[in-house]
Amino acid sequence: MVQYQQLDRTLAALADPTRRAVLERLSQGAASVTELAEPFGISLTGMKKHIRVLEEAGLVRTEKVGRTRRCELGPRRLDDLSEWMESYRRMLEERYDRLDELLARQDRELENGNKNEGDTK
Amino acid sequence: MTTSTNKATVELTGETGMHIERIFDAPRERVFAAFTDPELIPQWWGRRVDTTTVEQMDPVTGGDWRFRCESPDGTIVFRGTFREVTPVERISQTFEWDGMPGYVSVDNATFVDLGDGRTKVVTDSLFFTKEEREGMVESGMEKGMNETYERLDELLAS
Repeated sequence: MVQYQQLDRTLAALADPTRRAVLERLSQGAASVTELAEPFGISLTGMKKHIRVLEEAGLVRTEKVGRTRRCELGPRRLDDLSEWMESYRRMLEERYDRLDELLARQDRELENGNKNEGDTK
Repeated sequence: MTTSTNKATVELTGETGMHIERIFDAPRERVFAAFTDPELIPQWWGRRVDTTTVEQMDPVTGGDWRFRCESPDGTIVFRGTFREVTPVERISQTFEWDGMPGYVSVDNATFVDLGDGRTKVVTDSLFFTKEEREGMVESGMEKGMNETYERLDELLAS
């Protein structure tokens, strides 16, 4: 269950467009909180809050360097999230594959039915 | 036969939603029938290791449904109520399983005629909270994860 609480934090962190943009920016390299806040036109305090959410989710790592806080991508990658979704998709896919097979069986039965009908004529 | 090109897509929508699309190589009437006919449901609903029994199936607005899935690792009962059934077009139903009684999601399935003999089934599932959305996926994963490789084995053996 613990890993799902972690996942919940990740999903919450990703739910916000600013935070997603921050991740995109950090994927190009580390930046200070000030550098991150500027392009979004939000206050330093506001950006710090966003960073904290991202940090708690493991998506961002920060380090105090002199008087600034340096931010970079954290240990947690979005791959974890896509793995989770992929597992769910595979579970659904098994059921849907079985439905494919049922529909294909029906196709064959319909085909045979028509053939038999043709034979008797 | 499995059509490998028709893969399901799954997306999270908003805080508590899930959006699923899947194309089937059959006309809409037949796909809709597979979702509603108690004779056909056991042939595909659930995992391959499950024996699915339709205990109740009343696919009309206000009707109830109840499926029992039995396998070597246990029995799970799924059930719900149909909020709306519009033949060949739309099914809206509640969904819950006996592992989390009272935790209900609402599944809205739309059957789209693609005009070339194929049908796209679009399902939007809405959960009450995002924790419940995760709980659903978690239980699904436990049940379904080991199956993929078995399916691959079958495919390679055929």
